[in-house]
Amino acid sequence: METFRILIVDDEDDFREAIMKRLRARKMEVAGANSGPKALEMLDEQEFDVIVLDVKMPGMDGIETLRAIKQKKPLVEVIMLTGHASVESGIQGMQLGAFDYVMKPVALDDLMDKLRQAYERRVLQLEYGRKNI
Amino acid sequence: MTDSTPHLPGQESWPGLWHHLAVYGSSWLVAMLAIILGMFVSLLLGLVAALAAGLSFLTIHRLLRQKAVADQEKHLVDEQLLQSQKLAALGKLSAGLAHEINNPLAIIRQEAEWLLFLCRQSEPLDMTEAISGLRQILKQVDRSREITTNLLNFARRQQPIVQAVNLNRLVGDMVRLVAKETEQRRITVVTQLAPDLPSINSDAPLLRQVILNLLNNAMQAIDQDGTITISTQPTEPEAILIQIHDTGCGISKELLPRIFDPFFTTKPQGKGTGLGLSICHGIIERLGGTITVASEVGKGSTFTVKLPITLTPKEI
Repeated sequence: METFRILIVDDEDDFREAIMKRLRARKMEVAGANSGPKALEMLDEQEFDVIVLDVKMPGMDGIETLRAIKQKKPLVEVIMLTGHASVESGIQGMQLGAFDYVMKPVALDDLMDKLRQAYERRVLQLEYGRKNI
Repeated sequence: MTDSTPHLPGQESWPGLWHHLAVYGSSWLVAMLAIILGMFVSLLLGLVAALAAGLSFLTIHRLLRQKAVADQEKHLVDEQLLQSQKLAALGKLSAGLAHEINNPLAIIRQEAEWLLFLCRQSEPLDMTEAISGLRQILKQVDRSREITTNLLNFARRQQPIVQAVNLNRLVGDMVRLVAKETEQRRITVVTQLAPDLPSINSDAPLLRQVILNLLNNAMQAIDQDGTITISTQPTEPEAILIQIHDTGCGISKELLPRIFDPFFTTKPQGKGTGLGLSICHGIIERLGGTITVASEVGKGSTFTVKLPITLTPKEI
């Protein structure tokens, strides 16, 4: 299983730490951010393959953060994490280029599956970009 | 001798001949006459029939040709209509874009002219004023750059990334995403997912966008109390069908041909951009599939998406 770099963005510390711990156990490189601005800051400093982004956060929300992430790094894949189903944010997120939506609570296997697909997509996209430049 | 006329061989009198013939050859002659008559009649009939056939052939041929010409003309008109609709959409898009970029340009021009004016004054330049002007110009340049970057990203995203997609799962995920809202509106969502559906090679995020959009439209068409049925099934050749049926308000015959047009919407102002379905249409086309709609006012609508099992990415 290939290791890739994941950033978890969620304002709920316990949830974020728990998921980071479990992903690390699966040999992933994981970092965490407790807010949108913090995530953007980290994105300036280091490369990530996939970002797991909570939709509902105080201040800068997930949709706003997604927009900013895609402007900074269009090829980073983002999986939206949402506590409650929201059609509007769903449509908005997909249009802004989110890879998928995951509903809380999420089984780690499911999340892992989606992370893997998102990573695969990023690799394909990078390859495609290389071929066409 | 009762007959006074000398009877020479070969010189029989007419009544005699007639008699002779009547006695010995009548059946022969009648048969011959019948045959000749028959031939004549059948020849005549054949001629008439041939003439009729020829005429009708010509007529049918002419009719067919007329139909072909009419079809061609209709096709041409359709094509032209499509083309003009596309141009209209492009026009609207460019108008929006021009507006977006003209606004920062206008500010930049005002600030630059103001700075030029300040520089030409005889008294020393007011530095705070100059700096604020330059800052404003930089801000507007950034704003314009953002617009062009977004456009570029948009264009880049047009290229599908092909991965194995489990459609049943994808549909299930999207149904779950709308579950809360359907519940609030008392809408039942029925999923009929074919268990033997093969996984397809396609672009998952783009498909999610389409399914979510169609589910959202179905929900808005129903508003309250109704049923959305979403199904997947394999179909020939090498394709799969996704159908989304709602028991909503339906779309009238007049509007039906326009619903995939960009900027066309039946929703109240501010509720829809008129881009949802046109984006779906564009996405499905890029994924090598088709999207069609059947609808009846008051009964509901069915959107059918057909996708190839294997998508070979096309170069743009």
